[in-house]
Amino acid sequence: MSGNSADYALPPMTSVVRELEALLGKNRTISSRDALLAWECDGYTIHRQLPLCVVLPESTAEVQSVLRLLHRRAVPFVPRGAGTCLSGGPTPVEPAVVVELARMDNVLSIDVDDLFAVVQPGVVNLDLTTAVKHLALHYAPDPSSQSVCTIGGNVAENSGGPHCFKYGMTVDHVLGLTVVLPDGQIAQLGSSAGPRPPQGFDLSGLFCGSEGTFGIATEITVRLSTDQPCVRTLLASFADMTTACLAVSDIVGMGLVPAALEILDQATIRAVEASVYRAGYPEDAAAVLLVELDGTAEVLHEEAQEVREVFARRGALRIEEATDPKDRPRLWKGRKGAFGAMGRLNTDLYVLDGVVPRTRLVEALSGIAEIGKKHGVVLTNVFHAGDGNLHPNISYDGRDAAETARVVAAGHDILQLCVDLGGSISGEHGIGTEKLDHMPLMYRPQDLEVMARVRRVFDRDGRCNPGKVLPNRSACAESQKWPQMVARVLGEEGRR
Amino acid sequence: MNVYAVTNSSEVAAALRECVAASRRVHLFGRGTRNRWQAAPPAAAVTLSLRGLSSILRLEPDDLTCSVEPGVPCQELAMALRQKGLELGCLDADDSGSIGGLYASDPLGAPNPGASSPRSTLLGIEGVLAEGLEFRSGARVVKSVAGFDVHRLFVGSHGLLYAATLLHLKLRPAPRVRAAFTTDTLDVAGAVDKFIEMRRNPTMPRRLVLVREASGCRVAGVFAGRARQVASLLQQHSLREVDKAPQDHLQQPPADRELVVGIVRASKIAALADILPAAAPLLVHGGGQFEAILTPAEVDVLFTALPALEAHAAIAIGAPSRVRRTTPLDQGAARLQRDLRSALDPHSVLA
Repeated sequence: MSGNSADYALPPMTSVVRELEALLGKNRTISSRDALLAWECDGYTIHRQLPLCVVLPESTAEVQSVLRLLHRRAVPFVPRGAGTCLSGGPTPVEPAVVVELARMDNVLSIDVDDLFAVVQPGVVNLDLTTAVKHLALHYAPDPSSQSVCTIGGNVAENSGGPHCFKYGMTVDHVLGLTVVLPDGQIAQLGSSAGPRPPQGFDLSGLFCGSEGTFGIATEITVRLSTDQPCVRTLLASFADMTTACLAVSDIVGMGLVPAALEILDQATIRAVEASVYRAGYPEDAAAVLLVELDGTAEVLHEEAQEVREVFARRGALRIEEATDPKDRPRLWKGRKGAFGAMGRLNTDLYVLDGVVPRTRLVEALSGIAEIGKKHGVVLTNVFHAGDGNLHPNISYDGRDAAETARVVAAGHDILQLCVDLGGSISGEHGIGTEKLDHMPLMYRPQDLEVMARVRRVFDRDGRCNPGKVLPNRSACAESQKWPQMVARVLGEEGRR
Repeated sequence: MNVYAVTNSSEVAAALRECVAASRRVHLFGRGTRNRWQAAPPAAAVTLSLRGLSSILRLEPDDLTCSVEPGVPCQELAMALRQKGLELGCLDADDSGSIGGLYASDPLGAPNPGASSPRSTLLGIEGVLAEGLEFRSGARVVKSVAGFDVHRLFVGSHGLLYAATLLHLKLRPAPRVRAAFTTDTLDVAGAVDKFIEMRRNPTMPRRLVLVREASGCRVAGVFAGRARQVASLLQQHSLREVDKAPQDHLQQPPADRELVVGIVRASKIAALADILPAAAPLLVHGGGQFEAILTPAEVDVLFTALPALEAHAAIAIGAPSRVRRTTPLDQGAARLQRDLRSALDPHSVLA
């Protein structure tokens, strides 16, 4: 059912590595165990697995040659960008070659009249915006890791970010993709003219968010957005989290569509203020709400006034506003650095990304706090309040197996809570290996069967990032047997 | 004509299973207002009418989402949303068709960056494969990346992959003011310049079209927002406010003409217009979808020329033997399209 299980036997890897070296050279074919440690995991450090080897292609033709070879030799492979994924997406679960795309980092073309750019997958998200800044343009999707994550990775995960409340996810900004399919065939999905040809299916929309299981995008045509003339950023602190969430509802209920609506809880504020990301947030507040408005000056004047009125009506403890472009980064500094600041709390961090309907945020946060207590884990919250996209962060010591087990169990309970409240197990990080066992919380076997059929259209023999997104049958059966799931995850851990 | 009228997902599944067992092809049907975008089904095909799935099951103003059955009339949903101060960005309040038909036909294609479309507002779906398998994809919250987005395939699929029985949609607050606008008559170059200028404006119109008629070209659309903002935009772009929003589609072509639908980049519109006879009506949406009315011979010339413009097109209305003819897809994409149909409808039931 899963489309994961590959029907193949691995050939002797030494001969495959020699063939890869012949294609790309020894300096772009990495196979020594020590060097491979760099590819052992992504941002989801609970799951680790060394790849068989890593290759570093630099062009579509090289990717095609590599995939044709791996197809001929029946070797599984895992595409990888910068490795900033938080769900284990680019970490192998079974012996596989990692195809690292970071060297494909060229902006190939920029079209100002038609507002698009063609980039290779290894282009860093923020670098594209930097490249078009002089044209008063930008690339809208802005995940928190935008200074290091790649656009290829963003496509694979259909990444979001603080500004997707107004501007949409990565899929809303991808016009076309040149994709090398797992058997080496090249497919053009969408184009600079539009993401779906007339009388065609939306293949580019389907590919976005497929987590590297459908093939490798080697050229990505993305929409560029015109910079807004003015931006105003407001920050309000509140004595309790409920009031901060209600202020968000008020703002949206008034018909405003801010570019961003972000909340940090007190534990996060304190971690931020104790770190190099210190932004001057009030440490006595239970929550701070960051609201960013963009548009013309005349509109922003009215909108900012309305937001201030909401803050006042909800009894905000303190209100700050940045109208000067130089002051905005300070208000954002704490939010952008929140995950980094968690490094002060413990050695490891598990970042979840469940979603609930926005009106259930208060219930969700209360439930998450209970779950933290139940499992005895340190939980903090920073989240995209406009979307109901939570980021419960669990700080822990990954060297402690018992604590790690509690963290994994707490994560499961949090995702169950999100589903129970009518939400989703993932808003922007993807399933990867992290949430494989949680897919049956949200989808029935027949739903997964339909997804598996679609997957097999792209990857007929299940060699492209196997073991991701779709759980196998036994995992479905075990979904109600949580202790066994914890044991299995920690079994993976035991392979370290 | 053999028609199945169904009222829920189980009945859809049962009807489809029956058709598979009897080796009969099935034509999914809403309110029949969008047949211009679809080839006529085979004469022996059974019609499965989804009009009976006509409930708004959930409307959550505070969450900006709703769940509606495909047979809900667009006008009914527009009214329900208006009462709550909401809108579905891609919904025309005068649309006489059904919501399912709107999403299945995706008549305007991808939107201009300031607008929304079926593609950008479909959060999830409940559907039934031709073999009768009921399934879900996506979610009903505004953001979810859990699993593969099978629901995205519904948009523009013309009912050829599966039947939708429930659509989860993303809403937005209704704007305080709307203003329809037009330019004066322009030559093609002037209209294209204005069209590109407006696409580059940070505040994009909700709708934007370039129309070439016998009398000349003009750019028209709708701005939405706050009163002062809209007034300022009209002034900034030297636009004239008008009573009626622009037409979304060209008229039905006469019997000896075909309607071609395609996608083209804004900077290539002038070149596209050059290829077409001067009298041929042309309409281009802000997102790049265009329509033109041409003779079959002119269509053949256009299809030969389009690859050089990196544009694509298909015949939407014409002789049965020519409808759905498209400019060639690349081989990889063509294979994926073919295999998707085989994977989701292995018995080739849906017509």
